[in-house]
Amino acid sequence: MSLKAFKLVPAVEREMLMGDKARINVECIECCGKNLYIGTNDCFVFHFLLEEKISAGKITFAATKQLHKYLGFKKAVIELKAASALNRLLVLCDNTITLVNMMNLEPIPTGARIKGAVTFTLNENPMSGDPFCVEVCIISVKRRTIQMFMVYEDRVQIVKEVSTPEQPCAVAVDGHYLCLALTTQYIILNYNTGISQDLFPYCSDEKQPIVKRIGRQEFLLAGPGGLGMFATVDGISQRAPVHWSENVIGAALCFPYVVALDDEFITVHSMLDQQLKQTLPFKEGHILQDFEGKVIVATNKGVYILVPLPLERQIQDLLTSHRVEEALVLAKAARRNIPKEKFQIMYKRILQQAGFIHFAQLQFLEAKELFRSGQLDVRELISLYPFLLPTSSSFIRSHPPLHEYADLNQLTQGDQEKMMKFKRFLMSYLNEVRSTEVANGYKEDIDTALLKLYAEANHESLLDLLVSENFCLLTDSAAWLEKHKKYFALGLLYHYNGQDAAALQLWVKIVNGDVQDFTRSDLYEYIVDFLTFCSDQKLVWKYAEWVLQKSEEVGVQIFTKRPLEDKVSFNPDNVMNCLNKYPKSLVKYLEYLVLDRKIEKEKYHTHLAVLYLEAVLQLKSVTTDNCAEFTETQTKLHSLLQQSDFYRIHFILDKIKETDLHMERAILYGKLEEHDKALHILVHELKDFSAAEDYCMWSSESKDLPYRRRLFHMLLLVYLNPDSSDCELVMAAVDLLNNHAAEFDAARVLQLVPDSWSVQLLSPFLTGAMRESIHTKRMTQITLGLAKAENLIYKHDKVKLKGSPIILSDKKLCQVCQSPFCEPAFVRYPNGGMVHTHCAAKRLMNPNMTHHSQT
Amino acid sequence: MKPDGKVVLLGDMNVGKTSLLHRYMERRFQDTISTVGGAFYLKQWGPYNISIWDTAGREQFHGLGSMYCRGAAAVILTYDVNNLQSLIELEDRFLALTDTASTDCIFAIVGNKVDLTNEYALLLETEEENRPEKPVTGCISTKVQKQVHLDDAVALYKKILKYKMLDEKDVPAAEKMCFETSAKTGYKVDYLFETIFDMVVPIILRQQAEGPLQTVEITNYKSAKRTKSGCCA
Repeated sequence: MSLKAFKLVPAVEREMLMGDKARINVECIECCGKNLYIGTNDCFVFHFLLEEKISAGKITFAATKQLHKYLGFKKAVIELKAASALNRLLVLCDNTITLVNMMNLEPIPTGARIKGAVTFTLNENPMSGDPFCVEVCIISVKRRTIQMFMVYEDRVQIVKEVSTPEQPCAVAVDGHYLCLALTTQYIILNYNTGISQDLFPYCSDEKQPIVKRIGRQEFLLAGPGGLGMFATVDGISQRAPVHWSENVIGAALCFPYVVALDDEFITVHSMLDQQLKQTLPFKEGHILQDFEGKVIVATNKGVYILVPLPLERQIQDLLTSHRVEEALVLAKAARRNIPKEKFQIMYKRILQQAGFIHFAQLQFLEAKELFRSGQLDVRELISLYPFLLPTSSSFIRSHPPLHEYADLNQLTQGDQEKMMKFKRFLMSYLNEVRSTEVANGYKEDIDTALLKLYAEANHESLLDLLVSENFCLLTDSAAWLEKHKKYFALGLLYHYNGQDAAALQLWVKIVNGDVQDFTRSDLYEYIVDFLTFCSDQKLVWKYAEWVLQKSEEVGVQIFTKRPLEDKVSFNPDNVMNCLNKYPKSLVKYLEYLVLDRKIEKEKYHTHLAVLYLEAVLQLKSVTTDNCAEFTETQTKLHSLLQQSDFYRIHFILDKIKETDLHMERAILYGKLEEHDKALHILVHELKDFSAAEDYCMWSSESKDLPYRRRLFHMLLLVYLNPDSSDCELVMAAVDLLNNHAAEFDAARVLQLVPDSWSVQLLSPFLTGAMRESIHTKRMTQITLGLAKAENLIYKHDKVKLKGSPIILSDKKLCQVCQSPFCEPAFVRYPNGGMVHTHCAAKRLMNPNMTHHSQT
Repeated sequence: MKPDGKVVLLGDMNVGKTSLLHRYMERRFQDTISTVGGAFYLKQWGPYNISIWDTAGREQFHGLGSMYCRGAAAVILTYDVNNLQSLIELEDRFLALTDTASTDCIFAIVGNKVDLTNEYALLLETEEENRPEKPVTGCISTKVQKQVHLDDAVALYKKILKYKMLDEKDVPAAEKMCFETSAKTGYKVDYLFETIFDMVVPIILRQQAEGPLQTVEITNYKSAKRTKSGCCA
């Protein structure tokens, strides 16, 4: 409770009204603009001019008396109402409503008046639509009667009389609806249709009823138990009641507050949450009314004004006492009373302040939502955390401040756990906003702060931040990362800022153990990878040696795994110079050149072959049985020798002549087209017949059939060499023939085959050869037949084209140049179009014109 | 924000109307003081705003009930299962207040405070799966014999139908509309309100179909008149 919503300011002092006459009392009040009218119990009407003065933030009122007028009765003035459009004041005295001039209080000459009124009220939502007319509703002296009048400048006119089920004692009007306090209940009565609606019972004998129109189609009523009940013209309640004291005398409305008066206090309730907001002690009050937003309260002797404090101030007071919900409710309601532009600025600020209040109480969910909706400048939040804003940041906290905290240290009072919670919140908050428009303009501040938080908390997202698009400020971040020994991250930062040299230097230091950072256990591989994709050749060269020393096989990747679209190309000779010290790397690099890049340079191919050869020989000398490495290297050597056409064959051949690398020798002979030598080695020295067959296959790969046949015949001849009558070779010959029937010219084979061989022995070969021969014959016949058919089709076309005569006359135009033919030669297209021969020739040369013939 | 439909809680003082509503809206039980006059909450239910009025049970505020009930789409008549008089009062005193409610208003009868009865443990066992929250296991000795049984509530429901001259076939079945709850433990509180809200939606739709017509007429009529004369002719 105890919000300060209103201030009580005296308006008219007792001396100004009655001087020292003790028995004179204020009976009724009216206020219209600056005009304040007071009616007294001795039949006087006073007219004051009310001036509002603001000095040093305090509002005071000065009332200057204009005049006072005696109405000529011995009765009290019951009611005063101004009709400013008519310049009339309606005065109820002695059951008669008189119209007097608002300025001089003189009765109007026509003497128009309404007689027989107990009390009256004006319709603030008139139905007539005539601006120079007011609708007056009276409770008549006639029992159970209400009358409606139209009051003009100088005349009055009764428009309606309705009777009520009980005697009415108070009335309020809105449009066609009367809200009436009857003897035992409140009702709503539509005076136009006569339909009435009960609201609720109320005993007017015990307590004075209150009927107050508070807005369009809504009334405020005094209910049982001191309730202020809201009711609409439909007879329903749309707001929860407010709880006044039992002896409430009057009620007034000053949005969003309902003000009530009792014997001792003025109470202020909010219509928004029905809570009691303020209590002002005020004794002997007996009138409380609002006039166009001005709330006036009076005792018998004096008149006071309840000045509402600016809503903004009230909201600030609520925030100061951490009543966030109330403040926000009030702020939302203030939208009605404050210009839109101003409201939005104010409301945003309030949301932000409310956010900080929740924030300080570690209610981060609420805080976040408020910061978001209040569009908080993130730096306000960051600035609460010591050292997080970059030193270069130009940020200054908004003034007046959004909160009362100097920084987090003050807020947490050294509570480390709290501190952690605050930091975790900021981390998640910044991470969320950094990619939104909230971050616009402060991306450096946000990302730098986030980096600092991550680094400090040893958070894994630090690396993600640095490898993705970020705006971390270099100097600030670098210092911070160094301080927290995040050297790997620092390297990433350097790299992001284009300082690859610095990054590498730092990482190499980590690998060498000069500085400690265990972020990555595979940092060496990371560096290799980094260099592989590094486009700075100088930098690659600088660290090449270091990388190779660490691991020949991995290190060489900086040359071999470079992206294909790499713009910097390394001169292979330079690379090889460098790699000479690292044989394993060299082999890998040559493999890369020869096998991957397929560079057709004799030098590399020979070099690689030599290296393989040396390795094979070396392995052969140290290991006895076929170890995996040996086999692997030998396979590589074979396939290189077989597949490459660029190495110096003789050079290699020289190198292996003295060794027992028969297979290799055979391959080399094969390369030299000395197939007989090769086959000789395979058959006689290696006695490897399947290898010999393979040899025939791969040697003739990508060659034509006769070439292949020649090779197979050669092999057959080697097998059937009359010098040796090795049975094994004969068997090999038979197998060769039977398994590769298609690779032989059967006629020639039959001449070679010894007569002693049985048909049985060669039957698979013979069958195959036979089938092959028949197949060839038939295929040829088919080809012939098809060709004949095709020829016939063309002949048919030709005849067709020649069939119809073409008449060329001087009326026919060339389709290309649109001019007539003047010589007998012309070109006719298959679609019938005719053109000059020269036009056809031109068209052929200039394909742009082809569309003519297509039409 | 104008609510689309209204639900009103009626019942004698001290049966736990405010606690029921508080348990549903704020998800907790809290000692409340006697309600003065009335209070209301807004509940978003699908696309609709439903206002829930908590009325004062005290005799003093009895007269306000009719107004609160005016146009209501649902009335929740609440009694205390340990207090037979509170059920009797519903018929004697509160039923007449609902005369102002919407013609197709639905009625629910709710016996609150079942946690205080000796049957509660049994209820829990049968409803084990549906219970989101562990009950406050109070001392057995404090449990009392339940005074009002569900059958009594069903009987009252049928009386209400008779009073309203409604056919049993046209309204939800009595067994469906009689609830036993505990605001203290939360037992069946959500179930109660959500059942009611689901039933209220068709009523809202119907009210919206015919209701606004009147309102539009009035405002049109007024504003039309205004513009005609407001102009300085």
